[in-house]
Amino acid sequence: MRTLVVLLAVAFALESHASDRIVSAGGAITETIYALGAQDALVAVDTSSIYPEQAAALPKVGYSRALSAEGILSMKPSLVLVNADSGPTEALNQVEKIGVKVVRLPNEHTVEAAENRIRVVGSEVGKTEEADKLIAALRDDLKVASESAGKPETAPRVLFIYTRGGGLMNVSGKNTAADAMIALAGARNAVTDYEGYKPLTAEAAVAAAPDVILVTAKGLESAGGVDELLKQPGLTLTPAGQARRVVALDDLYLLGFGPRLGKAALELGQKLRASPGLAQK
Amino acid sequence: MIEARQLSFRVRERELVRSLNLRVRPGEFTAILGPNGAGKSTLLKLLCGQLKPTTGTIFFAGKPLAEWNARDLAKYRAVLPQQSAVPFDFTALEVVLLGRSPYGDAGSQEALAREALRMTDSEHLADRVVTTLSGGELQRVQFARVLLQIGWKPVSDGRCLMLDEPISNLDPAHQHGALQVARNMARRGVTVLVVLHDLNLAAQYADHVLLMKQGAIVAEGAPTEVMTADRIGEVFSVRARITKNPLCEAPAVFVELPPR
Amino acid sequence: MVVAALIVAAIGSVIVGLSLGAVRIPPGEILSILWGKLTGAAASGTHDAVLWHLRAPRVVLGLMVGAGLSVAGALMQGLFRNPLADPSLIGVSSGAALGAVFSIVLGGVLLPTLPFLHHAGFLPMAAFAGALGVTLFIQRLANTSGYTAVATLLLAGVAVNALVGAVIGFATFLATDAQLRTLSFWTLGSLGAADWKIVGIALPFCLGLVTLAPLFAGALNALSLGEAEAAHLGYAVERIKGLIIFLTAAGVGVCVAYTGIIGFVGLVVPHLVRLMIGPDHRWLIPGSALLGASLLVLADTTARVIVAPAEMPIGILTAAFGAPFFLGMLLRQRRKALWS
Repeated sequence: MRTLVVLLAVAFALESHASDRIVSAGGAITETIYALGAQDALVAVDTSSIYPEQAAALPKVGYSRALSAEGILSMKPSLVLVNADSGPTEALNQVEKIGVKVVRLPNEHTVEAAENRIRVVGSEVGKTEEADKLIAALRDDLKVASESAGKPETAPRVLFIYTRGGGLMNVSGKNTAADAMIALAGARNAVTDYEGYKPLTAEAAVAAAPDVILVTAKGLESAGGVDELLKQPGLTLTPAGQARRVVALDDLYLLGFGPRLGKAALELGQKLRASPGLAQK
Repeated sequence: MIEARQLSFRVRERELVRSLNLRVRPGEFTAILGPNGAGKSTLLKLLCGQLKPTTGTIFFAGKPLAEWNARDLAKYRAVLPQQSAVPFDFTALEVVLLGRSPYGDAGSQEALAREALRMTDSEHLADRVVTTLSGGELQRVQFARVLLQIGWKPVSDGRCLMLDEPISNLDPAHQHGALQVARNMARRGVTVLVVLHDLNLAAQYADHVLLMKQGAIVAEGAPTEVMTADRIGEVFSVRARITKNPLCEAPAVFVELPPR
Repeated sequence: MVVAALIVAAIGSVIVGLSLGAVRIPPGEILSILWGKLTGAAASGTHDAVLWHLRAPRVVLGLMVGAGLSVAGALMQGLFRNPLADPSLIGVSSGAALGAVFSIVLGGVLLPTLPFLHHAGFLPMAAFAGALGVTLFIQRLANTSGYTAVATLLLAGVAVNALVGAVIGFATFLATDAQLRTLSFWTLGSLGAADWKIVGIALPFCLGLVTLAPLFAGALNALSLGEAEAAHLGYAVERIKGLIIFLTAAGVGVCVAYTGIIGFVGLVVPHLVRLMIGPDHRWLIPGSALLGASLLVLADTTARVIVAPAEMPIGILTAAFGAPFFLGMLLRQRRKALWS
């Protein structure tokens, strides 16, 4: 397996320009590089770079917040693209000090940040035109998404549950990626009385009374499927639980705010509204 | 020579030692006797400085104990507290050599340390790890350590040996062996002060006996004077009879519980 | 004899630590780069920078932290008369981490205007204060009986670790600082932040600990017999205890401030040295310094290489070796009936 990775790395290294070697430490950044067609220059990614599948085969420089200076340097990069909150700061400073360009990209959960990222990556890899096209397409999709949303008062109430298995379930409040996505999809977050994530409790779930439960594909898998998820205390008593309305989308697609943001918002909106039994409401 | 004047020790409301005056003379084996809780160990801890008296003053070789430099004091006076475990795997020889700590010459005194072990009949334990020794074996090794600390050459400079129940874990042969060593130290001019439980052994080896009850000395003097049937009976709450030890001149004590 | 072997091991670990890493640098080039540094030749090239600005300070920091934690462990075990007293197990490292986190939160969030908070020495001083606080607390707990019961010591550690874990969790939740947010840095440790500046700040602390600790060897040997016994052997026990606590807190504080909590080093290393050369602190302390330095540099090298180009938290490695050790020692102590 390791030799395969090394071979692939060598293959990519040969394929790409000697002066163009990119290390990407962010799932959305990696995705953007592929969307721009600059993937030949990509030599290594972080563990959150799970889309597209080819990216996962590249050498991994570790978790985006626990990078190693020498590990990055060992990929002989000419450009290192990281999230604004990647780190440790010292490691990135050291990489910079040694003369490798490090670009920190905004990763707030906003459309502006998403567009900004595409624009900056585009100019760094010399694909400004492609970047502009990507941004235009993103805007179009978002426009369609917001147009196809109904009146705010009839919009479905959505409860986003984040889980990595092990019985640990967190519900997203305001100022989260999920909250922003739900809004872009023209739906309403069922939880607005706190910011960030809080553990799911039975009573809070009932009080939130969501019409639909939203999860990531991996989350649903780790929870053991829809049946197991709905066995969580309280969920059965919600409208969503009663009607078994559960929507799942790929993690990075749903929460990454990458180049697929527009499509994700559009698809999410459609799926939320198309949930069985919701139309009659 | 140890002297205490108006010595008291109080913990909260309890007076463990009450305004006590005493003088422990050089060249004598002095035994402290008394029932449980009489304050024997407390008195010894006060006299060696481990506890600070509530009132009163202790003099060692004529100088108040508090004015002694710790290291100088350690060259003249060795104290063997009641048994405590050693947490690390030192060998018996290494433990004995710690007796030379005040002199800083532990590295060159191995022969002397072995001699100290021989005096307590534990030379064969020299290379044993102390954590594997029995209670009695460890007690003999610790005794050897305090012997090495002040040495056993005849002295005239007021050296002192203070032992708190040094034979509690020993078999009869080693009990007598240890007390003989202590008495020989006294014969060489050392001030020897020992807390003991066994009245007959005290009678046999001590030159001077301090009989304690409830934090006070109720009688002191030569064993034959102090250890009368009435006094032993009263102090220890027993019925006592005194005869003569058939093996030596010392008094021999037999006791039983009084009828209810 | 053993000490000579340990010196060789330390030198060997430095060579290994400098030679291995994600970036492959041939041995010949390493020598020529180092020779260049000695002769003052101008630096150039990525390899030069990787070796001199990434690996070398990291190896030096590894030596210092390994030696510092191991000597602190040896001192603490002597002080508490218990071979299970390890800075990370009894909560001293956590206390240091708490101090460090507190200083970062204070410096970054609450009072960004006070200039002294941004002084380079403030972080290690805060960590030192945290370590000192916990050590004094545990010493006070231990003071009631003549020696420290294992259970008391470990339970105190559990409590302190839990408390500090909660506070650090809360602080990392509040803070915006990127370093703070990586909780794993504090719980599993990393030498990744090493640079010459940090080496410069940590050096006096670690050097002070390692050079001053042997002065207490005789006292610690006597302390093994008991505090009263040590006093009767002529040692000023209370003063010595105070100095040892101060010294270990300083060493642990500075190590934790820059490398997080690297567990079990202070437990395993002195124990191994005792197995090799016995419990005499005159040899135990320098032996622990040498072996600790070697082992930490090797552990860090492993952490750097094993999943390259990513890096494994070093605490995972030390715990993988240390935890079974600890359990073994615990069983052994139980059998010796020191458990009370």
